[in-house]
Amino acid sequence: MAKLAIAIFLAISLVLFSRLSFSRESLTGRRILVLLDDLSIKSSHSIFFNSLRSRGFDLDFKLAEDKSLSLQRYSQYLYDGLVLFSPSVERFGGALDLGAVLDFVDSGHNLIIAADSSASDLIKSVATECGVDFDEDPSAMVIDHNSYAVSETEGDHTLIAADDFIESDAILGKNKIEAPILFEGIGHSLNAGSSLVVKVLSASPSAYSANPSSKLSNPPSLTGPALSLVSVVQARNNARIMISGSLSMFSNRFFRSGVQKAGTSAKYKKSGNEQFVTELSKWVFHERGHLKAVNVRHQKVGETDEPAVYRIKDDLDFSVEIYEWSGKSWEPYVADDVQVQFYMMSPYVLNTLSTDQKGLYHTSFKVPDVYGVFQFKIEYHKLGYTSLSLSKQIPVRPFRHNEYERFITTAFPYYGASFTTMAGFFIFSFIFLYHK
Amino acid sequence: MGRSTNKDDAQALFQSLRAAYAATPTNLKIIDLYVGFAIFTALIQVAYMAIVGSFPFNSFLSGVLSCVGTAVLAVCLRIQVNKENKEFKDFPPERAFADFVLCNLVLHLVIMNFLG
Repeated sequence: MAKLAIAIFLAISLVLFSRLSFSRESLTGRRILVLLDDLSIKSSHSIFFNSLRSRGFDLDFKLAEDKSLSLQRYSQYLYDGLVLFSPSVERFGGALDLGAVLDFVDSGHNLIIAADSSASDLIKSVATECGVDFDEDPSAMVIDHNSYAVSETEGDHTLIAADDFIESDAILGKNKIEAPILFEGIGHSLNAGSSLVVKVLSASPSAYSANPSSKLSNPPSLTGPALSLVSVVQARNNARIMISGSLSMFSNRFFRSGVQKAGTSAKYKKSGNEQFVTELSKWVFHERGHLKAVNVRHQKVGETDEPAVYRIKDDLDFSVEIYEWSGKSWEPYVADDVQVQFYMMSPYVLNTLSTDQKGLYHTSFKVPDVYGVFQFKIEYHKLGYTSLSLSKQIPVRPFRHNEYERFITTAFPYYGASFTTMAGFFIFSFIFLYHK
Repeated sequence: MGRSTNKDDAQALFQSLRAAYAATPTNLKIIDLYVGFAIFTALIQVAYMAIVGSFPFNSFLSGVLSCVGTAVLAVCLRIQVNKENKEFKDFPPERAFADFVLCNLVLHLVIMNFLG
């Protein structure tokens, strides 16, 4: 009897304990593979890795040339995110190669790539496939003689203080980054053919990419506004990729050091690196700026269920609910620029949806005077947010023959004339027969 | 003969026409009035269509046809009832009137249907 009681007590406490262990909800899944050139990066970049762990991610550190590397087993992905902190790797070990990394991204997973002045062709080709072209010169670094970070030693100005951020609350968070970012590495340019890649941290107009230890024989090819230091790509399947030209931007040393931009007098005790990298990694792993649209509904004004067919010149209501992932839960998304099209080869109606601030977007309009098969289309592509592409098909029929107006006002004179003629005939026949 | 200008000739023609018309029997004059009324209604409708456009074209045609049809049937009645007409000398006027009524019934049935 006592043994039974103890057994029951243990069972209940086990159940309670498993409920108590908090599992953080994450949209992307929590397993991240981190590939390193050498394991000392694990400790020299520990603040960054700890911040990822504190947000609920399980990090798996491996050397980039580890023979046992693989992203998939039996067609199941073993990881949900990939961090490439191995700029100088020539060939990945195990079952990993350029194609495997690209397939990983194509299946919707997120990627962070950090390059360096020792970046290999492999890392550069991964970046090229993502839409970003690193400088081909293997000894080139970003040099800026006007915006370098002031330090005790007069260096070769490859450590630069950059503060040209993209304007986007979704990508960089609501809090403005006050201090400049310390950056030391290589620069890249955006592939003009890609419409999905965006510069997050640009170099100042006086920056250029060249070999710091040799004299320049001709003007550098990558300069100023074309030079990007950190870029992001949001693929059409909403996978997010961050590409940085400096691995040391993520390091503890840069996180902790103060920064002063040359030519200005403002000295910051702490560089903006930690805030910048943390906010950007939140965006890359879909903790911010991830939208979902649910409950697309349409009905005739005054009714509640969706009809199978509309008639021309009907009045209809359209509504959709859009939520944004806040890192923990789905919050209502509030914006004033979501539009819906009533589309058949071209939009006949284009309306901006009005919101009730709780995630419900709605509008009403009159079905146009054209019949055919239409679609309710929402194509919402906003910088920093996942793209919403919804469409719902609905046919529109013309009037039935008994749905036209019974008497046409412009035809009243003709109605009048016919009845007058009839009356005239009647009166005439009386007069004709009975006149004297 | 004396000087006869065109204006005098026209006036003389007009006077003789009026005198001859005054001699027609009353029932024929009634028919003439009826025809005039029908044509007048038709002209009003055509003028209206010229202003507003031919939107319900079937209604326009129906209205004009009713007027033109009654005019035509009234003219037929006049021909058949006119005593001076050699062709219809032995034709009883009642028969003519009965034909007129029947044809008008058919005409009005058609225009009611076509009016829309």
